Amino acid sequence: MKKLFPNECRILFTLLFVLLIISLCGQYSAFGGQWRGPVLRHLLRIFASLAIMWGVYIMDFRIWNNFAYLFYILAILSLIIVDLLGIIKFGAQRWIDVYFFTFQPSEPMKLTLILALARYYSMLSPIEVNQLRSHAWPIFMTFIPAALVFRQPDLGTAVLLIIIGCSMMFLSGFPLKIFLITIGSCVVLCPLGWFCLRNYQKNRILTFLDPNRDPLGMGYHILQSKIAIGSGHLFGRGFLQGTQGKLNFLPEKNTDFIFTTIAEEFGFLGALLVIFLFFCICCYFFWVADESRFKFAKVTCYGLGIFMFIHVFVNVSMVMGLLPVVGIPLPFLSYGGSSMISFMISCGLVMAASARKHHQQSPPFFQ
Amino acid sequence: MTAGYINVFKQQSVRDDLKFRSKIIFGTITLLSFLLVLNLYRLQISNAEKYTLMSNKNRIRLIPILPKRGRILTADGKAVAHNICQHKLLMERCSEDVFRENMKIICECIRLEKDDQQKIDESKKSPFIVIKDKLSWEEYAKLSMNLFKLNGVSLESIHVRNYPMTFECSHVVGHTKNNGHNLPILEGKTGIEAYLNDKLIGESGNTQVEVNAQGKRIRIIDSEEPVAGMDVVLTIDSRLQKYVYDLLAQERAATAVVLDISNGEILAMVSFPAFNANLISAKMTQAQWQSVIQDPLFPLLNRAVNCSYPPGSIFKIVVAFAALEEKIITPQDKIFCGGGIKVDDTVFHCWNRGGHGHVNLFEALRFSCDCYFFEVSRKLGIDNIVKYAKRFGFGEETGVELPSEHVGLLPTKKWKFLSYGTHWKPYETMIAGIGQGALLATLLQLAVMFGKIYTRNYEFIPTLVRDQGKKSRRANPISEQSLNIIIEALRQVCSCGTAAGSCRTTYGISGKTGSSQVSKIQPTEVGRSPQNIPWKLRDHAIFVGCAPNEHPRYVVAVLVEHGGGGAAVAAPIARKIFDRIMENEKIVSQ
Repeated sequence: MKKLFPNECRILFTLLFVLLIISLCGQYSAFGGQWRGPVLRHLLRIFASLAIMWGVYIMDFRIWNNFAYLFYILAILSLIIVDLLGIIKFGAQRWIDVYFFTFQPSEPMKLTLILALARYYSMLSPIEVNQLRSHAWPIFMTFIPAALVFRQPDLGTAVLLIIIGCSMMFLSGFPLKIFLITIGSCVVLCPLGWFCLRNYQKNRILTFLDPNRDPLGMGYHILQSKIAIGSGHLFGRGFLQGTQGKLNFLPEKNTDFIFTTIAEEFGFLGALLVIFLFFCICCYFFWVADESRFKFAKVTCYGLGIFMFIHVFVNVSMVMGLLPVVGIPLPFLSYGGSSMISFMISCGLVMAASARKHHQQSPPFFQ
Repeated sequence: MTAGYINVFKQQSVRDDLKFRSKIIFGTITLLSFLLVLNLYRLQISNAEKYTLMSNKNRIRLIPILPKRGRILTADGKAVAHNICQHKLLMERCSEDVFRENMKIICECIRLEKDDQQKIDESKKSPFIVIKDKLSWEEYAKLSMNLFKLNGVSLESIHVRNYPMTFECSHVVGHTKNNGHNLPILEGKTGIEAYLNDKLIGESGNTQVEVNAQGKRIRIIDSEEPVAGMDVVLTIDSRLQKYVYDLLAQERAATAVVLDISNGEILAMVSFPAFNANLISAKMTQAQWQSVIQDPLFPLLNRAVNCSYPPGSIFKIVVAFAALEEKIITPQDKIFCGGGIKVDDTVFHCWNRGGHGHVNLFEALRFSCDCYFFEVSRKLGIDNIVKYAKRFGFGEETGVELPSEHVGLLPTKKWKFLSYGTHWKPYETMIAGIGQGALLATLLQLAVMFGKIYTRNYEFIPTLVRDQGKKSRRANPISEQSLNIIIEALRQVCSCGTAAGSCRTTYGISGKTGSSQVSKIQPTEVGRSPQNIPWKLRDHAIFVGCAPNEHPRYVVAVLVEHGGGGAAVAAPIARKIFDRIMENEKIVSQ
């Protein structure tokens, strides 16, 4: 019988607790200091996804192993459904209406991709891993959803899927030489990809390369975001004292740009704390992966660590103007249900893996 | 067994490989995190000041509060330039329904003329519609009572410059114009308004308002009150100014200055024709402006300071004084006047073609004999004339508080060579000796010359503004002996000389008449009465005098442009002004 609250996960709980407090403060401030409405909804979401996390932890970890492909196929199907009859919001077709709420299938897609790849690699014998042809399936499995997401169009998530897939392939023993050559040629061929992009995506990248190109249009968001972060100084303007967000100079101040709001109000120290917490969570994920003996769990945890970190990195770089503006949320902090649930599920998975890290094999479940 | 071993070995290596690769990825993650922190440091610590400034620039707008411009008062306390509060009714741009509803209520409160209606319809597209300008107090009260019913309507009060003595003081006080920038700050353009603009203008205040990204005002952060401009008190006496103006208004173009030599104060300074200061300061139409600009009499010109005339016979005072000082003549030396002098085949006529006979200094000044001064100035030489003229203020600014004062023109040999490239000719000295030729002076300079004579001090500075501490009263006395002779001669001018007809009074005036020629007299024109000469070619009539004789205190200078003879036209006006001053003094002393 598993414990209701595993001892091994105290660290993770602490980290999560602090992050969720910061998240609530950030949302509270970004919504103008009102509890009612969105902030309350955010709080409910936190509790709901915490419950889901606990559920994932309680569940038999082998289910994830055994149903990994099934989940993957379901996610692919939902992406296709979005493509056919999704809701168009903000000029992109990313949401499906499931009667009582809308959700973004690209979020679970990332998770199921990790699970599917972990399942695939955990089944592979050590000899097969070193052969190039055994990596053909993972490549296929990564690029199918990436292409579907790219069609939505959602360049950011597509790139994220590819990065997650590639790093997992690299991790699992993709021949080093070929991997480096592929990365190199990708960099060289990158300019060709230019022609596949939509105009607004081109604009974003151009603006990223030269923020002064259009200071009142595309460059405006980045500039305002940098102003907000920069005016935070060491200690910040103080809780609820941020002016950039409150006076609407910041776009998307409670979703993609929540980090900006926090950095403005809590300053360098607050922003540092947020980055540090995320780094610690990744460390924890990697530690569990290192400790785990069950290969599926091991690869999954590495994958989830990468998954978590890449979101933080892309989002924070984006608001600081280091990367083009792509719609990547900041885990736990951004307003929105889909991403909150998927990150909580990752935490639940890692907790479950941690609880049974000494199990060597997954007993057959369904064969 | 072996195969199993190999298998185990391989598995071991694979596990190590996985660990190795995970280390690489973990290393990358650490590196990238460090990169983020580094960049965060760059933004929040290194460049914090820059971004804070930008953030404040984003959200803080400075809304100026205009200062009240200082008033200009006359010595007797009458405001000649002040601010009138005007109220405007403004409406923000709104939908048709709201507009109609607003207008219904507004029309109940005030009456809108057809013109107003038309203007409103025209300006409907602009962000603010001016419903009505210049609301009366009654209308303002009614509207403010009903303001709560109206949507997006506001009352705005602005200060408008107003000049009560519109024409009488227009040159002295001057006018103002909007400075043409975004802020409607008035800027003095002429007269005292321009000269003392810095003192009158005050300092703008401002309100720091926080705005959001849409430019909507959120709250007031701070405000700085404006500093009102200082009031300026003139030395002008409004009643005298008005009196003089009315006298001059009977001529076509004339100017007069009244000086109190006891303290250098200018009691009246009038230039006619004058301009409507209220009209010019307000928004004028192109046609109105053209009519002012193209007026042949140049009403914008202050003839007392910004216009130079040949001083004519008035200048003989300087020549006489110089000759006495240089000991070229004694008062009793007689020179023969036969109606003209012949120099190099050219005859220089005396104004009296019949000649004055043998005249001494007193007689020469009394009758303004030209021949006497031809002879004296020839002996004196231009250098000596210039030397004394300079001491009496010719060719120099008088230092009065008015902008772009003319200095006149004092011809010298050097000046002649530089501007014409030819050498000075002897006859030019003679012409300069009677105040003609190239010699030019402003009326104020002539008045100041009298001030210097009667204060017996070369350092006489006229002033238009009360309590100007900065004006020094340094003593630089004029030699008594020569001056007494001149003063005596000037007294005789009014008792038995050219001005005797109009200036014989109980209190006693001393003065000098002048009729300065503006064009060469053609032989055909000799003896023609002034009425038959075209106006533009007539002589300028000048009279400068001082009264009373016992204790000289008031200097009056009058110049009637193309008025004819100084004795006939200018002296009677001066006499009336003197009478008025003396009458007033009598009332005050009683």
